[in-house]
Amino acid sequence: MRRRLLILFAALLAVSAVPPAAAEYADVVINRAAEKNGMRPVVFPHWFHRIRFACRVCHTELAINPRAASNIITMSDIIDGKFCGACHNNDIAWGVDRCDICHSGKRGLPSGIVGGHETSGPGRW
Amino acid sequence: MKARYFATLLASAALFSVPALAQQSGKDVYSKVCATCHATGLAGAPRYGNAADWNARAGGGVGRFYQSALQGTAKGMPAKGGHMTLSDGEVKGAVDYMLAAVKDGLKLGKAEEAAPAKAETKPEPKPEPKKAEAKPAPTPAPAPAPAQQSPVAASAPAAIAAAAAAAPSGGDVNAFNRMLKPAGKRNLPPPEDGIHDPTVDGTHALQPPLAAFGTLPKSFAGNRVNWVEALDKNKISPRADRQDPNAVPVVMDLNVVREVKGSMPDVVYPHKQHTEWLDCSNCHPAIFNPQKGSNVISMAAILLGEKCGVCHGKVAFPVSECRLCHSKKKEMPAATAQGK
Ligand code: HEC
Ligand code: HEC
Ligand code: HEC
Ligand code: HEC
Ligand code: HEC
Ligand code: HEC
Ligand code: HEC
Repeated sequence: MRRRLLILFAALLAVSAVPPAAAEYADVVINRAAEKNGMRPVVFPHWFHRIRFACRVCHTELAINPRAASNIITMSDIIDGKFCGACHNNDIAWGVDRCDICHSGKRGLPSGIVGGHETSGPGRW
Repeated sequence: MKARYFATLLASAALFSVPALAQQSGKDVYSKVCATCHATGLAGAPRYGNAADWNARAGGGVGRFYQSALQGTAKGMPAKGGHMTLSDGEVKGAVDYMLAAVKDGLKLGKAEEAAPAKAETKPEPKPEPKKAEAKPAPTPAPAPAPAQQSPVAASAPAAIAAAAAAAPSGGDVNAFNRMLKPAGKRNLPPPEDGIHDPTVDGTHALQPPLAAFGTLPKSFAGNRVNWVEALDKNKISPRADRQDPNAVPVVMDLNVVREVKGSMPDVVYPHKQHTEWLDCSNCHPAIFNPQKGSNVISMAAILLGEKCGVCHGKVAFPVSECRLCHSKKKEMPAATAQGK
């Protein structure tokens, strides 16, 4: 009984997990507020940024908590120079006017790290 | 826990329990049963709304489709979609519903047939909302009970679905690699990676990973880039400070050896490779006490996303690369191996 439920559950997971498995390793979907406010989810590519910055820049200097979906990010924070806005300010990188480069995720994606990560759940400590 | 159980109920309800009371419409049956495979083309199922998929099989006419749907096929279509409690009429209704979605294509489609070899995986806007509908199926809560009636039939599609999910889409059930991600599915460009919306201009402005990774040393997992070597060989020079490109990180070269029970080589934890990227405060004291041996670490914890698993398996190289962590061979007295 339990096992069968598990199998069913696994099957559903397997089915719904199909698209993200093809995504690049360590891409993070951020969709706490975006879609509720009519924007597409944000996709943050770790690989792209780690070529340019050490982890400490974001996860220490900018105090972005390295735990998917735990940061409450708003556009007003961003234009005030917090989170993505610390760099996406037309000085270090292109500015916030280019909405669709960040808000480029498929509608309906849940927040979380994607790309075939091999440990389950968000980081815990 | 409770939430999970509830989710399980919903899952089973959505997938396999179809109250046998009233005759259901083809649309209902499709979204509750058939969409599991036919929305995305699992195991090579012809996709809903994809005329090319259906054209390729149109030879036998509607009669053959009815028969395949009712009796199943050797290539993965389970009889009645694995749901034997459906009436024949309901199954036929679902077939009609699927065919209706490609009716125009079935006639016009002939011209396109010339070049369906690279059938697009994208153009089916329908399935997504369908799946969403399927979940909150208006099945009353005690639904799992009737669902149990046909354990064999119900678990069959589950197994197939699970198997198919791992199989390369393209659909050969006996493809050589079932679990391994085939080369063509790695480092896909944003418009094809399944999370970016290809209809947005921004998606097409993004750099495809392979364009950036071409010059970087390779590895066999994660981004398939060896980030440690890329840094050592100055192939990349990530800033240690947001603004100052010349800032240097505080690198500490201290290895901590952790003895491992059993035959696995001991783990050498290197501070050097970590402090090139990370600050002490990223790990100490929240994740690890800065004292050798004072932390209980196990593979089980790592696989749950704790300890080393906070980063490894998410952003840093994944857990499959055993040897990078388990790098210190033990001297194993060949004759008298004694546990530890
Ligand atoms: C540098 C990347 C980036 C750019 C550019 C950007 N956003 Fe956002 N935006 C985010 C992130 C990250 C969030 C947080 C998403 C979440 O938590 O769901 C967000 C959230 C939002 C939200 C919901 C939260 C809120 O503050 O109301 C709206 C609406 C929004 N963005 C609109 C826009 C618009 C409009 C533009 C263009 C003028 C834009 N964004 C450009 C990254 C960006
Ligand atoms: C440009 C900024 C930036 C850089 C550089 C960066 N990260 Fe992140 N990281 C983020 C953001 C943004 C998130 C998502 C936070 C959220 O969803 O609230 C994140 C999330 C994470 C998570 C959480 C994943 C999960 O499943 O919970 C981990 C772990 C992580 N980063 C590790 C790293 C490591 C290791 C590096 C260096 C190799 C790194 N990050 C570099 C911005 C960055
Ligand atoms: C530490 C600085 C920094 C932070 C913080 C940062 N970015 Fe970036 N980001 C960059 C730089 C630099 C570029 C490259 C700019 C260029 O090409 O001109 C970039 C580029 C990008 C790109 C385009 C990648 C491509 O393929 O060209 C996206 C998307 C992006 N950032 C999203 C985000 C989001 C979302 C956040 C917040 C969660 C964020 N970034 C936070 C520095 C940062
Ligand atoms: C477990 C996955 C799965 C489910 C659930 C499923 N199908 Fe299929 N279906 C397949 C596969 C795989 C094929 C391709 C089989 C083949 O080529 O012989 C297929 C093929 C078909 C075909 C075409 C057969 C032919 O002769 O070419 C029809 C019609 C069909 N399915 C109808 C249905 C209907 C109606 C339902 C819901 C009651 C359903 N399927 C549920 C997997 C499934
Ligand atoms: C990526 C995570 C990480 C970072 C970053 C990190 N450490 Fe550690 N540190 C560890 C681990 C894991 C251990 C081993 C703990 C154990 O064996 O229980 C350790 C152990 C130590 C120890 C104890 C060594 C011993 O022999 O008892 C000291 C001291 C220490 N770290 C200092 C630092 C300092 C200083 C920095 C910054 C320059 C730093 N660590 C950065 C993970 C980290
Ligand atoms: C805060 C994030 C974080 C934590 C926690 C962490 N690592 Fe790492 N580790 C990294 C990053 C980032 C790299 C750079 C390589 C990469 O990203 O693939 C790395 C690299 C390494 C390397 C170097 C591999 C090589 O090719 O030289 C080893 C070994 C390693 N980690 C072992 C461990 C072990 C063992 C633990 C747990 C005790 C651990 N790490 C915890 C982020 C982390
Ligand atoms: C990110 C680094 C890392 C990777 C990758 C890794 N391990 Fe481990 N492993 C550890 C650490 C740390 C311990 C705990 C050592 C201790 O007891 O202090 C451990 C412990 C173990 C143990 C002892 C039993 C236990 O659970 O504590 C076994 C067996 C083991 N690992 C097998 C593997 C295998 C097989 C792989 C490859 C699939 C692997 N490990 C990959 C870091 C790693």
